[in-house]
This record gives sequence, C-alpha cells and structure tokens, in this order.
Amino acid sequence: MIVVVGLSHRTAPVEVRERFAGEAGAVEIMLGKLRGRAELDEVMFLSTCNRVEVVARPKGNADADRARALKAVREVLAEHGAVSEADLKPVLYEKEGEEAVRHVYRVTSSLDSMVLGEPQILGQVKDAYDAAVAAGTLRSFLARCVHRAFSVAKRVRSETALGAGTVSISSVAVELSKRVFGELNDRVVLLVGAGEMAEAAAKSLGKGAREIRVCNRSFERAATLAQRFGGAAAPLSALEAELATADVVVTSTASQTFVVTRPLVKRVMRARRGRALLFVDIAVPRNVEPDVHRIDNVYVFDIDDLEQQVATGQDARRAEATAAEKIVEQEVLQFLAWARGLDVQPAILALRAKTRGVLVAEVERTLQGRLKHLTEGDRAALMQLVDSATNKLLHAPTTRLRRAAGDGDGQTLAATLQELFELPTMHEVDESDEEKDDAPDDDERAVQ
Amino acid sequence: MNALLLLAAATYSAAAVAFLVHLTGRGPNRPYLRFGVWLLGAGAALHATQIVVSSLVLDICPIKGIHFALSVVSVLACVAYLVMRAKFRIDAVGVIVAPLALTFLVGSAAAHADASGVGSLKSAVLPVHVLANLVGEALFVLAFAAAVGYLIADKQLKKKHVGGVVARLPPLDALDRAEHAFLLAGFPMLTVGIITGAFWAERVESGSAVDVARSLFGYATWALFAAVLLLRAGRGWRGKRAAYGTIAGFAFAVVVLVIYLVRSFGEPHA
Repeated sequence: MIVVVGLSHRTAPVEVRERFAGEAGAVEIMLGKLRGRAELDEVMFLSTCNRVEVVARPKGNADADRARALKAVREVLAEHGAVSEADLKPVLYEKEGEEAVRHVYRVTSSLDSMVLGEPQILGQVKDAYDAAVAAGTLRSFLARCVHRAFSVAKRVRSETALGAGTVSISSVAVELSKRVFGELNDRVVLLVGAGEMAEAAAKSLGKGAREIRVCNRSFERAATLAQRFGGAAAPLSALEAELATADVVVTSTASQTFVVTRPLVKRVMRARRGRALLFVDIAVPRNVEPDVHRIDNVYVFDIDDLEQQVATGQDARRAEATAAEKIVEQEVLQFLAWARGLDVQPAILALRAKTRGVLVAEVERTLQGRLKHLTEGDRAALMQLVDSATNKLLHAPTTRLRRAAGDGDGQTLAATLQELFELPTMHEVDESDEEKDDAPDDDERAVQ
Repeated sequence: MNALLLLAAATYSAAAVAFLVHLTGRGPNRPYLRFGVWLLGAGAALHATQIVVSSLVLDICPIKGIHFALSVVSVLACVAYLVMRAKFRIDAVGVIVAPLALTFLVGSAAAHADASGVGSLKSAVLPVHVLANLVGEALFVLAFAAAVGYLIADKQLKKKHVGGVVARLPPLDALDRAEHAFLLAGFPMLTVGIITGAFWAERVESGSAVDVARSLFGYATWALFAAVLLLRAGRGWRGKRAAYGTIAGFAFAVVVLVIYLVRSFGEPHA
C-alpha cells in the first residue's frame, strides 16, 4: 500500500511553505533523491504554492517497511527545505494505506484545496505524475492509484457543481465585469488608486481588457503601475474625464472620504450618453458613494458585496463537497478491493504453479513410458490439455479467492490454501510473477 | 395538418422548458441551452412546414389573413433568433422567444383560416404591407425578449445578485445592444407597414370603432418605437428606459394583432 508525507496550507504557514517552493528543476532533483532511497519502491513528488508532498509505495508490506519509508521521505523533505527533521515534523502530515489513497483522491479532486473546487490542482497532479514517469519512479501500483485519482477528479467535476461559482475577490470582479459587459476585450479598465490592491486587480482584469488606465493622487505611482500593464496614467484631477471613457472602474485609494460621488457620476453618465458603468470598490473605507448604485446603468459593488459573493461561492461548493466526498469514498473502496486482490496473488500463482507442475510431471512420466510412441504434435496437444485442465480446475477457487480478498478475507483464505496444499509463503513467490500480473488493466489503459 | 401544428406546439413547449431548466437549474446545465436552441429550430421547421401545407390545402396565400400572419410572425421570430443569437450572444433569451412563438402559434390556431382582416382588395400594396408588418413584428418579438432579459438582469445586479439566473442570462450590455439592433431593424418595416396601411385604410376600411382602434394602436406603436430610438440617439436613454419603451411598444403591437384576432372570430368560417 502507499504512504503520503507532506505539508500544506492546513498544517504549515506560508513562511514554512515558501522554504519548499522549488525553482525550475527542483521536482526532478527531489525525484532523483527519493529514487536513491532503498526504502521506497515507487514515488511521486507534488509541489504547489499550497502543498508539498511525497506519495510513495514502500518496499515491502510490513509495518516496519512502512515506518522505514516514512522516515526516508521525512529525511529527504527536511534536506529539501533545509530544516531539521525535528523542526519539520510538527508541520508534516503522514498518511498510510486507505487514508493515503483517500488523501490522494481528495487532493486531486480539489477537496483539500485552500479554495475548494479550484481547477488548477488536477493539472498540478498531472504534472507531478508526468515528472515521475519521466524520472522512472512510478510503476504499476502507484501509477494506477494516481490514474484512478484523475478519474475521481473528473467524476467530481462532472457529477457535482464543486467547480461552479467564483471564489476570490479578483475572480468575482472579473465575473461582475462579464455579467455587465461580456468579454472585456473592447473595454477600458480604469484603476483609481495605484496600490497593491490596484495591482492585483489589474493582473486579473487587465488580461482581457482593451486598455488599462491608472488614475492616482501621485501621478508618478500611477505612471509606474500603468507602465507595468502597458496602460496610460492620469492625475486624480482628471478623474471625471477618465470616468467618461472607462467601462470598469476599480477603486482602491486610501482616501477617508468618497472619491466618486453621486453628482459626479450623474455628470459622467450624461457625458457617456447612458453607457453602462461598473464600479468595483475594493477600498476600506469605501471610495464610491453607495447612492451611485441607484443611478440607471451604473452598478457599484463594494468589498462587502465582493466578499459575500466569495462566501456564496464557497458555501455552494461546500454543499457540493458532500456529494464529492461520497464519490471519493466509493472510489477508495474500489481501489482497496483491487489492492487487496494483489495480496492473494502470490497464493493464486503458487497454487497454479503447483497444480500445473503436478499434472505436467505426471504427463511427462507417462510420455516416457507407455505413451512414448506419441509424435511431437500429440505431445504438444497433451500439454495444451494440461493447461486447459489447470485453468478449468482453478477458475472457481481463483475467482472466490479474489472476491474474498476484496471483502477483506483474502489473507485467511490464502493462508488456508498455503496450509492445505503446502504452497510456498508470499515471500517465497517469485516477485517477477507478481509484477507480470499486476500490470495496468484495461480500465487503467483507458484512462491513459 | 393539425398533427404538424400539435407537433410544432409540443416542440416549442419543450424548447421553453429546456431554456427554463438552463436558467433556473443547478449545476453545469449548459447542454439544456443547446438543447433548447435545437428544439426551437425544430419547432420553427415544423411550424413552417405546417404553414406551407395548410396554405396549399386551403389554397390561401400564407401572408393573407391573421390566421397565417400570426404563424408567420412566430416562424420569422424563431428564424431571426436562430440566425442572430450567435452574433449578439443572446442564446438564453430563447426562454422568452420560445413561449412567445408558442403563444403566436396558439393564437394562429384559434383564428379562422380564411379570416381576411385585410380585405379582399387585389392590390400590389397588400403583400408589401403585410410582409413589412410581419417581418417588423418578428423583429419586435426579439427586441421585446432582449428587453425583458435586460430588465431581469438589471434587477438582479441592482440587488447585487451575481449568481443564479443573472449568471446564465447574456451580459447586460449584449442584451441592450441586441434590443436596440432589433428595434432599429424592425422600425423601417413598421414604418412601411404604417404608410401602406394608411393607404389601405382609406380605400377599404369601414371606419368602424374597431378599425379606428386598430389604426390608433398601430400609430401609437410606431410613435413609441420612434421615441425609444430617438431618445436613445439624442438623450442617451439606454438600458432600463429603452427596455421599458420597447416593452410598451411591443404591447401596443400585440394589441393590434389581438384586434385582428378578435375580429376574425366574428367572420364566417371557411
């Protein structure tokens, strides 16, 4: 089974997380270090701005094997973040087996994200998977687990509305603009104020806008910000003229009084010949007089309105998260059933080998005695008969054993088989046989 | 024939339901919008087939009489919607177009197939008058739909509701532009209809109270739409004011049609 060791926005503050924020090539370096650890059989490394974690399959299934694997990952992570293991441990989470599978599914489906339902995490996990494949640190078991996680995320997206609605101030501002104007590519965005908030708004709103203009008390600051976004600057004294040509206005000045008043906007609307005007007021205290919202074709959304929209989006997503968690649970159970089926695989292989071995030995003894006159063709036909008999004989016990494994009774039945038929124990079975059998099945290939 | 009409009515109804589910349902339901557009197209095709078949069977020109006129308006409005929806990105106003198309169809079914309403005078002015009015009426259906959509979206935004219905309606500005464009295209048609109608009235109408009321409402429709367009161009009356003006103008136009329809009930059946 797999283990997960990592830290995220839930366990570590940004000051800690940023220590792990890797530069270009950091993922490959980490994968190289993890691959060098003998305690780990398969490994994937996920690094985002909110999360750094290692998903690994220990070498061996015993508790001691898992403990050694966890320790190995902790050591590599501590080295990566240039912190001591003791300092790192309080902010780390460690998950094993069923809990680890559930964690991978939840992370990939954005159920563990800071912004519930955000779509980027799926792409980030896919990138992590691709990097692990390229580094040769994934094999069939972990690959299947991650592939199933992609399918779970797709199910969550299509069967729930977890990704619907907008959930950040910037995205709400963009959504508002779209409600009023549709696409922004023929619109002018005016920033009143040139602080950090204006810059953040410019990043999201400015992407699609035809033009960005910045109006600020300090013209120099306005010019600097405008230059960064390829726009034009104007002094605050030119606000009325700027409002007459703008479509979306983002206000974020530190003014203690209203910068945009109702009489001003009334005059502006006459100059605009009634064209719609949207104010996104992210300043505290507010820059736009609330009564401005009552003017025809003028819409004002202040910080409270925006935060309410963010909260509404999050509430709606939380409601959908319950349905998404159910999907995750179903899929975790399915994966565990498949994984438990692997536990009885050695017993099945041993039983088949023993049965076939006995039959082949008997046939060969007879072929050397009474049937030695048979031709090569007849001998080959007899061997085919042996294979066919083995398959038919063992079909029912194999099926039942796999089913029992899925129900959690596989170990007991496998032990009984080993006892009854004097089969070799799990550790004695050639591991290569196991690998051959646990190759990705059709379902997995379909996902690929 | 009746089967075709019933089928068209059922398809319009299904389209209206699909649009409504798109607007009010939860979760990712964009397929309902596409489904609604397809159903509206299918309904219009069935309705058009019914008009052609009926007019051949009854040997009546499809633009003659209120019976077919209402049907033709319905089909033309649907066709105009299907053609223009992508340009103006107003797919969701199908939620208003589909029930209107159904209403016109039902009104058409209620009227007598041979009800003239336009007299029996043979004249080259007749087809021009009727066609101009029908095309104009169809464009006003779309202007009305866009205006209603605008008022809904505006009300939601003024209440600071950003999700739900308003998120699935076209953007406010698109609705305003579409409403203006349809009005602008329909107004010359209405003007031609009014001029030819005045010529017509002088020659054939009886001067009864009904005829006078119909003419008055016709002129009032023209005056209202003219005012909406002029005030928009001259005084910048956009958005809500233009939407209310458009809705009022459309209501007057509907009154004219209703007068034709009511008058058809008093005429002898074929």
